[in-house]
Amino acid sequence: MAAAVPLGSGSDRRAWAWTRVGLQSRGAPFGIQHVCAAAVDDVHVDGAAVTLMSSPSVWETLHATDETSMNLEDRQLDLGEGPTIDAFVHGGPVLVSDVDSPEARARWPIFVADASANGVRAMFALPVQVGAIRLGALNLHRSTPGSLNTDQISDALAFADAACALLLAEAEGGTHTGAADDIWHREDHSAHQGEVHQATGMVLVQLGVSAEIALSRLRAFAFRHGRPLGDVARDVVERRLRFNPDDEEAG
Amino acid sequence: MRDQILAETFVELADTLVDDFDVVDFLHQVSMRCVKVLGVAAIGILLTDQRGRLQVMAASSERSRLLELFQIQTNQGPCAEAFHTGRAIAVPDLAEAADRWPRFTSHALNEGFVATHALPMRLRATVIGTLNLFHTEKGLLPEETLRVAQALADVATIGLLQARAIRHHETLAEQLQTALNSRVIIEQAKGVVAERHGLGMDEAFDRLRGAARSGSRRLSELARAVVEGTGRV
Repeated sequence: MAAAVPLGSGSDRRAWAWTRVGLQSRGAPFGIQHVCAAAVDDVHVDGAAVTLMSSPSVWETLHATDETSMNLEDRQLDLGEGPTIDAFVHGGPVLVSDVDSPEARARWPIFVADASANGVRAMFALPVQVGAIRLGALNLHRSTPGSLNTDQISDALAFADAACALLLAEAEGGTHTGAADDIWHREDHSAHQGEVHQATGMVLVQLGVSAEIALSRLRAFAFRHGRPLGDVARDVVERRLRFNPDDEEAG
Repeated sequence: MRDQILAETFVELADTLVDDFDVVDFLHQVSMRCVKVLGVAAIGILLTDQRGRLQVMAASSERSRLLELFQIQTNQGPCAEAFHTGRAIAVPDLAEAADRWPRFTSHALNEGFVATHALPMRLRATVIGTLNLFHTEKGLLPEETLRVAQALADVATIGLLQARAIRHHETLAEQLQTALNSRVIIEQAKGVVAERHGLGMDEAFDRLRGAARSGSRRLSELARAVVEGTGRV
């Protein structure tokens, strides 16, 4: 049997993606536009957009690198069909290597005809999400058909993570500086990730808020106290720390 | 005796695969069955996140310390090694592996585990994750038991990826990523249920799973409804 190859191994792609976003920002605070630009360069696509979505019909495109990207987003919203909507609904990537394929035509009959007429031949929608917290999607398009290779898929996923980290940092209330290390350190890169998700669910009940706000409060608390997010989450899960709706501060 | 348990296991898993099944629930069943069939102390199923890390998808117990033991192996430990090499890794005495994986071995020994096996989960030439077995007695599993374990790892892979549908690595990525996100939703829902009813995380998981079964709902769908506030458990 031929040697088996691990899927998406090697160095941590998330850290690599940040480096690439940093090259785009050239020292300026990180923004969604830098994530989009890095995705275009590194995944080898023609355009990228990040769209914020709160439901399949309520969304706002934060940034698009080109007019075609913007049109693709607008058309999907108008028509109520397309890869972005499916990525949002199913909670996984929707990778369309050929918009003229019978499968794509059957799935989104009106939208793909439209996309194809505008010179788009491949589309890749990556959800920007943390479990049930759906923020939106990173959408890539290309004027030539063809699959992403496994490295390009890894990179596209890592850029969607970067967009997610940026949006979460912004949701904390604008305290972040936009510097790479600031946003990076607000994430948890340890083995405690399961506890961060569990703590999100617990804080949601404690405060009577959405999962998105619960996660923001956890992250903001960790940041204010200069503690790793995973450690704060563990305190919540082990019931040493509670969030009280009457306090700005937990405890 | 084992032949009968094994036959029951494959019948049960095949039954699950026929329906519109839930991936997290299916892998949980595989890990519970593995404990019984293989006579080991604990089981974990880890999948690649396609960005250079392994993530815990299912375990024979939802005890937090156990989940962490699997998760520590993101980049060091027998699972990481089985994943990167595509070969089964056997550690008959964890105490002797302390130099190789210091953090992992100390955590495992603290939990009372003294030996471990990690088996690759493969789809043709691609490794997508690992099945991790823990033992409370030193030594290697018999060759025959390991073959059964590998068969169960293969069943888990096929079930997870609905292999007939996998023609392109794009479909593989779509299904893997959806499954990984479902697992995150379950963790969030465990938190909601644990807080609401004053339960531990393992009890919260049982309660969620029980509610999904009795209401004939998919576990991930119910978990999402619980986190979004449109369903109550």
